[in-house]
Formats: sequence, C-alpha cells, structure tokens
Amino acid sequence: MTAFDRFGVTERMIRETLSAALSRGGDHADLYFQHVVTSDLGLEDGAVNRAWASTELGVGVRVVRGDQTGYGYTEDLSLPALLECARTAAAIADGPARAAPVAFHVRADLPARYPLSRGWGEVRPEERLPLLAGLNERAFAADPRVKKVNVYLHSEAGTVLMADSRGRLVEDSQPMTVLSLSLLSEQGGRREQNGYNVAGRAGLDFYTPERLDRVVREAVARTAILFEAGAPPAGELPVVLAAGSSGILLHEAIGHGMEADFNRKGTSIYADKVGKAIARPFVNIVDDATNQGARGAINVDDEGNAAGCTRLVEDGILATYLHDEISARHYGVAPTGNGRRESYRHAPLPRMRSTYMLPGPHRKEEIIASVKRGIYCQNFSNGQVNIGAGDFTFYVKNGWLIEDGKLTRPVKDVNIIGNGPKALEQVDMVADDLEIDEGGWTCGKDGQSVPVSQGLPTVRVAKMTVGGRGS
Amino acid sequence: MTLVEIAREAARLALAKGANEASVGTYRARQVEVAWRDGKVEKVSEATTRGLGLDLYVDGRYAAVSTSDLRPEALDRFIGEAVALARSLAPDPHRRLPDPALYAGQAEVDLELEDPDYGRVDAATRRRLAEALEAAARGVPGAEKILSVSTSVSDTASESALVQTNGFEGTRRGTDFWLGAEVAVQDPDSRRPEESAASGSRFFAALEPAEAVGRLAAERALARVGAVKGASGLVTLVVDARAAGRLAGYLLGPMHASSLQQKRSFLEGKLGQPIGSARLGFVDDPLVPRGFGSRRYDGEGLAARRLTMVEGGVLRTWYVDTYYGRKLGLAPTTARSSNLAWALGDAPRERLLADVGEGVLVTGFLGGNSNGTTGDFSLGVRGFAIRGGRLAEPVGEMNVSGNHLELWHRLAATGDDPYAYSSLRTPTLVFEGVQLAGT
Repeated sequence: MTAFDRFGVTERMIRETLSAALSRGGDHADLYFQHVVTSDLGLEDGAVNRAWASTELGVGVRVVRGDQTGYGYTEDLSLPALLECARTAAAIADGPARAAPVAFHVRADLPARYPLSRGWGEVRPEERLPLLAGLNERAFAADPRVKKVNVYLHSEAGTVLMADSRGRLVEDSQPMTVLSLSLLSEQGGRREQNGYNVAGRAGLDFYTPERLDRVVREAVARTAILFEAGAPPAGELPVVLAAGSSGILLHEAIGHGMEADFNRKGTSIYADKVGKAIARPFVNIVDDATNQGARGAINVDDEGNAAGCTRLVEDGILATYLHDEISARHYGVAPTGNGRRESYRHAPLPRMRSTYMLPGPHRKEEIIASVKRGIYCQNFSNGQVNIGAGDFTFYVKNGWLIEDGKLTRPVKDVNIIGNGPKALEQVDMVADDLEIDEGGWTCGKDGQSVPVSQGLPTVRVAKMTVGGRGS
Repeated sequence: MTLVEIAREAARLALAKGANEASVGTYRARQVEVAWRDGKVEKVSEATTRGLGLDLYVDGRYAAVSTSDLRPEALDRFIGEAVALARSLAPDPHRRLPDPALYAGQAEVDLELEDPDYGRVDAATRRRLAEALEAAARGVPGAEKILSVSTSVSDTASESALVQTNGFEGTRRGTDFWLGAEVAVQDPDSRRPEESAASGSRFFAALEPAEAVGRLAAERALARVGAVKGASGLVTLVVDARAAGRLAGYLLGPMHASSLQQKRSFLEGKLGQPIGSARLGFVDDPLVPRGFGSRRYDGEGLAARRLTMVEGGVLRTWYVDTYYGRKLGLAPTTARSSNLAWALGDAPRERLLADVGEGVLVTGFLGGNSNGTTGDFSLGVRGFAIRGGRLAEPVGEMNVSGNHLELWHRLAATGDDPYAYSSLRTPTLVFEGVQLAGT
C-alpha cells in the first residue's frame, strides 16, 4: 500500500490543501499525515487477559511566518475538511496568497535505521503471548519472594507522510516496541516493587533469548536488593553515575536547555553560551538520531529534515543548539533534524533524540575508588528541569553509598537535585565505558511526549544535593 | 450522526460480531489556543477532534480499543479485529459490565459545566487578553529585569456519549477557559528564573482578570531572583495551595482497588485507621457546580455520589472500580477521583506563616517521585525561607524526603484557600518536622 492509499489522499488534494494554507502568504506550510496502529498485551495474576489497541489517523496543517505558527488538525481526511483546516492555520499570516508547489519530489535518500523483517501488523497475538507468559514463569521461578508479576508488551506500526510548500514529499514507517516486567516482592512483612523494561524501533525479533534473560535477571535483582537498601544521608555529596541510563543527567542538565526554542526566546540558562567552555576538555556530548534500532532513532525528523548526529558539547565547549525549522531560520543555520512532535495533533518543537556522552579518559574502578563519601547511582525512574533557573533533578531507584572508595550499602528512592551549568562544570571524571540504555524513555515538553534514548559512561560529579534523610 | 448514535452503532456492531457485552464512549472537542510572546502572536491553533473507545467482553475475555478513524468501513473492520483480539486472550471471570442497578439515582442538579456564551469568545477577544496579560506583567515594579513574557489564552468545548449494552446511555457537554502567563527574569548571576500564573473556569465570565494574572506571574518570577540553597535539616514545611496537589496525588494512587489487589499500596489494612493527623480530611465530591472534575455519572456509568475518603485523619473508603472490586470482593464506589473537598482551616496563608514563625514555604516541586508500595518519597522543591513569621529569601535546589505514613501525621494546619484551578482543590498545608536536604 502506498502512503497515499493509506490516507486516501491524492497529490492534487495535497496541492489544494497547501494552496489554502498559503492563501494569506506565510514563509512555509506543511502537512503531516499520520497513521499509527498500536497494540498492548498485559499479563496480570498469571494470565494474559487484557489487551488494548488503538488506531490514530489524522493530519496536521501548519503555516509558519517568521517565528509565528498557525496550526490546525483533523481526523477527517476529506478535501473539504482538509481545506477548512488549512484556512484555519493560514490565519496566522495576513499578506497576499502564495502559490503552492506545482510538482512534488519524493525524498528517496532516507537512511534505514529501523528495517524490519516483519512488521507488527503481520504478527498475530498468538505469537506474542508466549513472550509474556515466559517472563511471568521465569520471574516467579527466579526468586520465591516474588508475589506479583506484571508484564506488558507494546507494539506500534506508524506511517507518516509529510508534504511542504517547497514541494518535498517524505514518507517514513516508524515501528516501536516496549516490553516491561514489573515485580512486587515480599520479605518478612515488607514489600518492594521494581522492574526493568526494554524498548526499540524494532520488530518481534528484538526479543532475543539474551535480551529476555536480561529483562528477568535485572528485574529480579533490582527488586531483591531493595530489601537491603535504605535512605542515603541528606545534603551535598559527590555523585558517581553508573554507565547507561544515567544519561538522564545529560537530558535534564543540558539537553533541554540546548533546545533552540528556549534560546531563541532568551529563556534558557544556556542562551548566549555557544562557543564558550562549559565543562572539562574531556567532556563531549552528542544528540544522535542514527543509533540503529534505538528508541530515540529517527530516519527523518517530523518536518522532513535529515537527522544525523549533533554535537552539543565538543571538548568542553558548547557547540550547537538543537534546531527545528523555525529556530534554524532564526539563527541562520541548517536545521539539525530535531523538529519532532507527538502526533498530528501537535506542531513540531526542537526535541532530543538519543543523548549521550562520549567515552573519557578514566576508568570506572578509579572513579569509585576516588570518592571518600558519596552516592553511586545505578537506575532511575524520572527527571525534570527548570530551563531558565537551571535546576534539574533525577530520581534514583537503585544505588549504593560509597565510603572510603568502596560501595558499602544499597540505597533507594532518592531524588538528586543540581543546577545544570554548575553540575557540568563539576563533571571531573569520565570513564571509557559508554553504554546507551535500552530502556523505554519518554520525554515530555509542552504537553507533548516523544520517545528518546540516553546514555553515559561512568561519570563523577563533584557535588550535588542528595534528598536523603539524616546526616 | 450524533455521538450517541455513533456509540449505539458501534455497540450494535460489537454484539453482531460476537461480543457478549460492550461499552462505547465517543467524544468530540473543539480546542482553540492563542500563544503570545513578547509583543506578538507566537502560535494560533484550532481544531475539532473526535474519537471512539470500545470495551469488549467476548466469551469471558476482555479487550479495550480506541480509534479516531470513524469512516464506516474502517470502523467495521476495526471492531471485527478487536473482537478477534479479545478472543486470543485468556478468560477472566471478573470482567463484566457493572451491575446496572448502580446506574440509577443520578443527582438531579445542574452542574453548570457548559457556558452558554461559549460561541461569543472570538479570535479578537483571545488576542486582546493575551496582550493584556503581557502588558500587566511588564507593568510591575522591577519589570526591567524581565527577559520574556509568554502568555496563553485557550478554550475547549467538548461533548461525549457513553453507551453500555446492559442498559446505560449518557451524554455530557462542557466548556473550559484558561488564561495564563509565564515570565522569565534575569538573575545577576546568569540564571533566568521563570514563574507563572493561570486562571481557569467553566465559564468565561468567571476567569480572573488578565491584568491580575499577568501581574501575579511577573511578581512571582521577580521574587525568585537571588535564590539560594538552604541548609539541610528538619523544618516546618508550608506547602502552598497551588503546589500541594502534587502531594495529595500521591495519597490517591494507593487508595485505588487496583493498587490494593496488586499489593502495591502503603495504605493496605488501614481502612478505619488514622493515616494522618486529625486535620487531614477530604471528600470526593463529583457534584461541585462548575468543578473541573464534576460529573453526574462516572466513566463506568455509575451514578456519581459524594464519598468521604478521609475524615479526622481516618481512612474511610477506597476508590473501587468494577473489575478490581470483583477481584477483591468489594462493592464499587467509583473508578477515579472527581473533585476533592478538603477539611479547611480558618486561617489565610499569611496567618499560617505568622504562626509557623521559622520554616520553609514550598511554592513548587521539581521532579522526584513517590513509591506507592512503601510510601517513601523524595521530591525537589523551591520556595522561600520563612523567618519571624514572614517570607524571607527565595530558596531552591533542595529536596524534601520522607514517608507518607509519617508525613500526613505531621499535618499541623490547613489553610482556608483551596486551589480553584485543579480538581484536587488543595488548601495550603503545614507539616512539622520534615526532612529537607540542601547544603
């Protein structure tokens, strides 16, 4: 099926809709057709006895004039509805009409960062069920303290078709899958919950025996250790971040602040800092769309622009903001392929993809050994940032207290807060063990959620405020 | 077709394709927003959206599906596939529609959820308000420190229908209007703190004046200049009414039957027992005129009624939906909270601060989380030091940590000021002896 068939539209309808969008002028107009079919299977109390499925079909019409945006969307893809939607978006402009493109050229140079041998649409529920049942059995077998097991398998087959006033036509198929295992364990009258999840732009073959082993092993271990864990002390301490999902530090401490819309508005703590040293010379941070099959990978952004690897920090110097079309035009630079949106219901914004720090000169063992008294953070649930003030947080689900260079006792459920630029200045050791986390991270901004990835080598931050108890 | 007709047709199709029972919800909403920044329109968006959700009960099996593709042939195929999906699952004897007896007895009150003047709010009005919000923000003393003012004016008109094949049909309509401003200011040390203010109502005429909202946003942002990290220690914590909803939300999750049945509630076994001080009390009240959470029937069609959740610190009932109620052998109350009506104190915030003397006022949380199984929480906070009963310097980059089973016992006072712009309607809350982490 071609994308045109899927949406029931023709090139002529697209041309007429763009023509209506440009009826009052404007610098740029685009249409974003989207069709997404999702399926979720859930296991609870030993049985796969619930399923959710959804179909989303719609189009968003955008007209841009300078840095002003007019936006409309509709689930009705008939020509009259498309034209009404386009005229709504056109209201942002107030000049003479511009002509729509006469011909369109299909962008055929997209990379293949998430090829599937078989799309999710072809995988029957019966083929997915054993995956959930298997994890359930293995989790119970792994630890007698496990009392409740929840497993969820999410799969998604999405198609987008973008057309714009420059005559570009871009089509992309965007699969996604997430598998999560959540456990509730009991020991001596106490209960603890934890879990593990994996995600990627991939099909059923993503779930290799090795990956499934890891899901069970990690979920069981992360839950069991909570029975031995306590609260860390409260106050300012050195913080060592384990390789992997600790990339949440970058996402919150610098990633959001480098999204160009905040800088264009002058509301980011990083506004006016490009070209300046903000970290040690061994600190290199990228936002990368190219990691094969990663949750944060994209072949093209949601404005039809090429998406590659963007250097945020190069040898400690702030290099490039993350741009969408509007901010790129504002700054007179090429878009970086960071224009993303949750769905056709939303206008694109500069957003992260897969954000991580490149390996540095230190070793993990030497970093831990260097800390007299501090916290080692392994797993995280969520984080947040105030863009302008720079304060950011991440919530640590599993970690360890470090005493005299050794991991001495497990800690849990602690929020850590810092200030972005200060924290980056205080990244004083970076190891050579970069890991990009395989978890199902989702980033929220302006009411829009998009899938992202993150990663980090083992890193030491000289001082952050640990939300523990006592001293 | 009207929404209720579409829902009936989908229910008919579901039964024809093999479902034993079905519940269908349909909705349509018109949403308009004007975003304004620094002297001009930033974004105008307008759309009418629609969709359908379907819960299917097929041979003792259950699936829930939704679609925005309402083209007849697409809907027909979609429902057929949904029935097949349900059939592929394991049976679950607890999945059935609610007892129809619970549909009866809807309150005969006008909840005033729809503004009859909705159609009179036009593009020029929204733009004028967006502009007025900015002008007011830029009119406050100290405005030269303002870097940027973003304002927003939005409204929604929505309607929905619910049809359940064992004898329920309902429709509802509502409107809401919002205006708000966000102000970023320059701190001499290069930070750019931001604060906001908003007003929302079911009725356009009941919104706060744009001038007051814009001014408040700017005053709040300017008050953040020079924020410092305070010392770690046990303090009296006053949580502003606007911020307190975050804490209240963490109490509600563990009150749900799903959390109890899955052993993920720190409140398990506490029914009839104190879970907080005598000051803690709230009623779940779906019948508040103009409330954001108001309804005459809930998402499962159950007639809405007031529920005393916590009274004098004692936990009185749970949020019980049909499914987990059957699993636990509990009678359903309602699946989700509506509006909360708190046991209020008689003092305004100023007097609470004066009584506290020394402590910290929390005006906002940043990140953090709460463990619903154990009750442990750890949250980022910002606000102000309280000295001599008055607000002193702004503080930030701090964490508050503890356990809910201790925290709510430390509730020493509540304000007379429920926050009107959320269905949680929390007043100012005063807690004694709370662990704060700073320097």
